[in-house]
Amino acid sequence: MHTHRLFSLLGLILAVSAAEARVKLVALPDRARVVVSLANLDATLVEEERVLTLQKGVNQVDFAWRGVSIDPASIQLRMLDQPDQVQLLNTSYPPNENALIWAISSPVARAERMRISYLLQGISREVVYRAVSEPDEKSLALRNYLRVRNNSGEDLENAEIGVGYGKDFKRSIQHQEVLELLSERVDQLPIKKILTWDAGQMPWDPEYEKNTIGVPLSYVIKNDKASKLGAHTLQPGKVRIFIKTKEVAEGDAAPGEGVAFTGEDWGQLTPVDREMKLYIGQSRDVKVTQRKTTDERINLRRNNGNSVVMWDQNEVYKVEIENFKTTAVTLVIVEHIPGYWKMIESTLKYEKKDAFTIEYTLDLAPKTTGDKKTVLNFNVRRMNVQGNEPSNY
Amino acid sequence: MKKIILICCAVLAWVPQSWARINVTGLPGRDTVQLTIYNSADLTLVKETRVLTFKQGLNRLEFSWANTLIDPTSVEFRALTNADKVEVLDVSFPPRVTNTLEWRIQSEVAGEVKVEIRYFTSGISWNAEYVAEADAGEKLMQLAGSVRINNQSGEDYENAQVRLVVGVIRLVENIVDLARQAGEQGAPKPNAGAPPPMAPGMRAELGRGMNRAVAEMEDKKREIVKEALSEYFLYTVEGRDTVPHGWAKRMPSFVAKEVPVESYYKYEKEQYGNAVMRYYKFKNDEKSKLGKEPLPDGGVMAFRLATLDKLYAFVGRTRVKYIPIGEAVEMELGNDAEVMVKPKLMNWEKDEVRFDQNGNPSGWSTKEQWEIELQNSKAIGVVVDVRRNFGGDWEVASDDQYEKVDATKIKYVVPLKAGEKRTIKYTLTTRLGNNARK
Repeated sequence: MHTHRLFSLLGLILAVSAAEARVKLVALPDRARVVVSLANLDATLVEEERVLTLQKGVNQVDFAWRGVSIDPASIQLRMLDQPDQVQLLNTSYPPNENALIWAISSPVARAERMRISYLLQGISREVVYRAVSEPDEKSLALRNYLRVRNNSGEDLENAEIGVGYGKDFKRSIQHQEVLELLSERVDQLPIKKILTWDAGQMPWDPEYEKNTIGVPLSYVIKNDKASKLGAHTLQPGKVRIFIKTKEVAEGDAAPGEGVAFTGEDWGQLTPVDREMKLYIGQSRDVKVTQRKTTDERINLRRNNGNSVVMWDQNEVYKVEIENFKTTAVTLVIVEHIPGYWKMIESTLKYEKKDAFTIEYTLDLAPKTTGDKKTVLNFNVRRMNVQGNEPSNY
Repeated sequence: MKKIILICCAVLAWVPQSWARINVTGLPGRDTVQLTIYNSADLTLVKETRVLTFKQGLNRLEFSWANTLIDPTSVEFRALTNADKVEVLDVSFPPRVTNTLEWRIQSEVAGEVKVEIRYFTSGISWNAEYVAEADAGEKLMQLAGSVRINNQSGEDYENAQVRLVVGVIRLVENIVDLARQAGEQGAPKPNAGAPPPMAPGMRAELGRGMNRAVAEMEDKKREIVKEALSEYFLYTVEGRDTVPHGWAKRMPSFVAKEVPVESYYKYEKEQYGNAVMRYYKFKNDEKSKLGKEPLPDGGVMAFRLATLDKLYAFVGRTRVKYIPIGEAVEMELGNDAEVMVKPKLMNWEKDEVRFDQNGNPSGWSTKEQWEIELQNSKAIGVVVDVRRNFGGDWEVASDDQYEKVDATKIKYVVPLKAGEKRTIKYTLTTRLGNNARK
């Protein structure tokens, strides 16, 4: 097995003294420290420290790599102990080789700690979340993992791996190894469970559907202090959600606790104080029927040829909602209204999300079906319609 | 490897020309060589001096340059000593011999004469490279500039004085084409013909050779002397350098510490889509610890000192354009998800409808209410520049301060503290059809 591909063959220091044209080869020491920064999604920065024994005068340090992909223009060298005295004079790049030679001057023979920084290809990271919800779906235990994949060709021993937030991990990661590190854990994180019925996407009349309509089910996590989060932006990543279950007792043993998988979604980048909405499944115990009960042109404006050239469109909608569940649930009804419009009447309160979208957030009590069903009526008037409106505003 | 050869053929006046090339009397090496490398074109002016021994009377000098990228039309000769007694009668490019010329020189003196040979070559280039190292708060940075010389010319230039020209010159024909026309079979392609990889010891040995001059001369950093010249800037690297064919060499040019920098973010949908772009803004002036010279265009690696022990956070890499003295600079460092800009159209109205004499709608106005959410999730303060573009007869009303950039653009410049959120609002009225007044 290979180990270090950096310096693997070519770790030499050449000291050239001004007084005597003597060439001295010094074996390059191992890395004293390795830091891998995965904070920038575009590139992985590796910083390594080595203590080099320098001769008085100009020293040649040969830095070479094989089997790894380093951007040569990214390589930086910093002196850590005596940056004012130990100086990098120049850097030479030999032809057709993954190598460079630093000319470093030192006023005296000394050991100098140096930090070499470079962008290394092949190390990627992703953030994955796993959550276990309580049976009441009011809170969950969230685990946030950093998954580091090393295909760089290089084995990194005792590397300090950081992602830009939280504390760094000190781990070794071999070439072709995937490491999953627990970066954050929050217990009893409050969640909102909501169903979302979007009039632009869902069938309006379940009677005509062959299968029972499933209403998309989401968990909403708020990235704030009240949710025991809010320290940093939540990174995008896959979220898998489980729910606690009771297991059937076997024999005389007490019933154990287990989990069932309830679904997964891609979590979006979520800055502090914003919500991460995870669409994880469907509920088929809530039925929504929407009908347009009035659709008429009013306030007609005609031209001299008696043609209607502009009008208002008067639309009345009726939405009936039945909750067959034995538990209460929150349902969000999303309606899209294009163009210039005014709400003439609405039997329930709505929130305008943007110019063309409104939302009704309804807390449905358990078993509100039949006569107990929730009914929403709203009358919207679309103004100054000419019939040539764009499909998108 | 040395491929440029000068053969001094001293002949007596009565010797027939056909004998000339046989009569080799010496093969003088270069005494000094100076490279003036341009970065805007593939052009290097090489000036070398040699000491030749002339006979009184007619002398022939053969100059050949196989496997290099020299422009034969550029080769010039002049005597530096006894200049009034040494005269070039003519120059010939012999038939069937590529990459060779021959001067016929009339000398009134016998003995050593110091001469200068000048020519253009292609294949040597230089570029500027910068490292920006911002402090943790991104208020100050250290800007280190270096120059990198790359020799793919086919010729090794040893102990050369290196001068670098910052500026744009005009060439009506490419030097590399002129070089190739002269010797189709001889000239190397750029980046080709470089020596094969070396054994470590050998590379070290060569590296040692490359830096011997440095070691013998001094063991401190060498200065790069800068001077203005017409519309150009000339950098002269102190001391002498050896850059063999195939090699590149990077030398520090300047380090400016505590340069004030502004962490500046831009959002403009028409330019960058939904991404918020990050910039470091600074000025190339003395107040900013710079301003001594224009900064040549080049690549930038930007880091931030992320920890007390100065570990880096990689901010991004970019290119800067040529920056004259006094000019403000914006280094674009890519998208940063930690600063959010989210515009939302909250209301849309179509009103003020006007009808023409036939009763058809001929004009109307739209009124849009926009809200732009801004959020800085970073631990340091930033400035966000949000630009909005409008067409037609438009008018904006806003309680938030904005600046009209031009006839179709406005911008909000909003400083945001660490963790700060803000919403800016404006109403856009657009008059269409006959309602438009402009």
